[in-house]
Amino acid sequence: MRPLLALVRKEITVLFGSPMAYLSLTLVVLVTALIFFDHLRLYNQILFLYASSTLGGFETGTVPDYINLRDSVFFPVMDTLGITLIGVVPLVTMRVFAEERARGTDEFLVTTHLSAGQIVLAKFAVTYFFVALMMAASFVYPAMAIHQGGIGAENLLAIFLGLLLHAIALASIGLACSAFASSQLVAAVAGWAVGFVLWDFGWASPFLGQTANRFLDAISLHLRYGSFAEGIVSLANLAYFVGLALVAAAVARFSFDWRRVAG
Amino acid sequence: MRGLGAGGLIAIAFGMGSYYATDHFGLFSGVNALLGGLALAVATAHALSRLRGASAPPFRGILLRGLLGIAAALLLAAALERAAHHSGVQFDWSFEKKFALSEATLAALADLPCPLTASLYYEDFDPRSRSTRLLLRTMAQTGDLHFDERRLDDHPDEENRYAIGTSNTIVFRCGDEFQTVERPTEGAIYEALYRFRSLESRTLYVSRGAGEGDLERTDALGFSGLSQALVTEGYRLRELVTASVSEIPEEADAVVVIAPARPLPGEAIDALHRYLERGGRLVAFVEPGRESGIEDLLARWGIRSKSAVLIDPASGPVDGGAPGVNPIAFHYATSHPATRGLDSSRMTFFRGARSFELRKPRPGDKLSGVVFASPRSWLDPDIAVLSSKVAPERPPEAAEDYHPIAVAATYPREGKQARIVAFGDSDFASNRHLRTLYNLDLVLNSIHWALEREPDITLRPKTSVATMQFPLPLANTLRMFQGLGLLLPELLLIAAAILWLRRRSA
Repeated sequence: MRPLLALVRKEITVLFGSPMAYLSLTLVVLVTALIFFDHLRLYNQILFLYASSTLGGFETGTVPDYINLRDSVFFPVMDTLGITLIGVVPLVTMRVFAEERARGTDEFLVTTHLSAGQIVLAKFAVTYFFVALMMAASFVYPAMAIHQGGIGAENLLAIFLGLLLHAIALASIGLACSAFASSQLVAAVAGWAVGFVLWDFGWASPFLGQTANRFLDAISLHLRYGSFAEGIVSLANLAYFVGLALVAAAVARFSFDWRRVAG
Repeated sequence: MRGLGAGGLIAIAFGMGSYYATDHFGLFSGVNALLGGLALAVATAHALSRLRGASAPPFRGILLRGLLGIAAALLLAAALERAAHHSGVQFDWSFEKKFALSEATLAALADLPCPLTASLYYEDFDPRSRSTRLLLRTMAQTGDLHFDERRLDDHPDEENRYAIGTSNTIVFRCGDEFQTVERPTEGAIYEALYRFRSLESRTLYVSRGAGEGDLERTDALGFSGLSQALVTEGYRLRELVTASVSEIPEEADAVVVIAPARPLPGEAIDALHRYLERGGRLVAFVEPGRESGIEDLLARWGIRSKSAVLIDPASGPVDGGAPGVNPIAFHYATSHPATRGLDSSRMTFFRGARSFELRKPRPGDKLSGVVFASPRSWLDPDIAVLSSKVAPERPPEAAEDYHPIAVAATYPREGKQARIVAFGDSDFASNRHLRTLYNLDLVLNSIHWALEREPDITLRPKTSVATMQFPLPLANTLRMFQGLGLLLPELLLIAAAILWLRRRSA
């Protein structure tokens, strides 16, 4: 247990000692705030436009039902944030395994009393912690602004849970890619490619049959994440994200065997 | 070959990124995804061909164990997801609980005369269809519905056949019948399902000709919403022109009188009285300050109402009016079927009301208030208070009490049972307020009770949801944007800069 904790401590020190971690945090928080504020400004303008052109105030029926805080501001921001995370999270995960390999320090790790599984566990846990921090920091401003508008704490919690699980899924994919790459750049690009492909299979639907489309829908990140954004917390979606993390961890674990064989 | 693999990944990332940026899987996306996939496949094949050492038994075992680990994780993940999916466990944390189906919807789904199928017609990137899809999925979990999704562009013939006007429309099919629901909420879906049910139709005669509420008028002051709701719930509506009526038709299951502005002819009042003596049913809406003759008829049946305005200090000002004149009621006769399900959290809203005093005309008659104002309410004889903006002051002689705003009464007559429901307001059932709070449920359930349709008494899901259509003042938003939205990343960036400088100087 002690070597495992030592590895966790070391990973945390390396992570928070790197400017890249703070840059990633800054990027996500700033982008979220800017997108959110821009949507909010536009929404206010549209509302005032309707109110002034009809002189009907904000009574029911004056403004089309699809123009509301949730559909016009919060959901689009969360969707954009979902895609933005595909770009940002691999920047955090790219170095986790690949840097060790590039520097040759992975050899030291293998010679400790830690098994490959424990190494993977420690690295995944620390990355998840950082990703959770990132999501909390990026969520605080939109959540507080929207809470003023009365979306409700439970709904916000569901959205945050979805955002967190989505980010953790992307981190898992990024870590699996990093485990197989010697270069950080390749790890990041692979994370982007897999993340983008898994996000939404709408592009494939015209070319495929109903069964294949249903399968692709079932494995797409966007649809799972979207349920949380609507306020639905389903056991199936939770299981999907847990399963994705499990598979990614198994793939990362396999990279150690692969290295022993392929060199 | 590593370069080829990296190039393939970059091509895939750019191809998919372009698709999400433009919402269009065009030539650029297609070619990038195809070439990227090919490059990746070639690089992977090459990497595998280099694994000559892997054929050695010790290495084969290592790789096999690792691959088995991945396969086991995949299987476990799929099994977990499928088991969770089949368990159907989900929590509705949405603000309006819009995915938690009401008992009324569940009952309507279970009572359908034939298997129900639904098709959701949508356009790509219509954000509303996601919510509708989830609602349909929740309904499908009950086992009483099968649904599919159809892109509007792919089914132009069905767009015409079902008169689909917009994306995010559901077409329900039950046998040969279909119902089209635009802007689907649970309430709108419930009403569509209700129309599939084969109901025993009842006939309501609605009085006209003395300035009553108009069931055909569609603006905020009209009652077309009430008319539609009554038809949906299985009522046939007929006009009762009071100027020419001498007897209420035998086929009338009930007569509805909505706050006449002018006096009703004496013959009509007498006809209504005789109709009640025969065991008829009357649903009457009266207004403070109006004396049309229907108030006198109600008084003959023990339901007296002073021409005074009910003031309820527990209710605040509405639309700039005086506080207290528009009561929000949350006290109900919980044991009465007409208000079944209504409680202090399910309020009803009235727009200027009068109250009733009850006195049995004969032993055996049962008269009871079903909706009450708060115990601080009192009666103000000055009708002008309705248009005042100043809170009325209670004179010492005005008694505070739970004044009834709606009453229900039964009268055994000639071996039958006459029933009367009276409301001290009509505006609460107008188009403007019918779907406010639980007004619709109060009206429909009271009418169901009057016609002895107690099994149909229910609380209906809402047809519109709270859409949060109000501005967040930019001044507040700006302060929060600068205080939280910008300050936090600024501090993080300063931390990154300090760290980088320290590392550089180390």
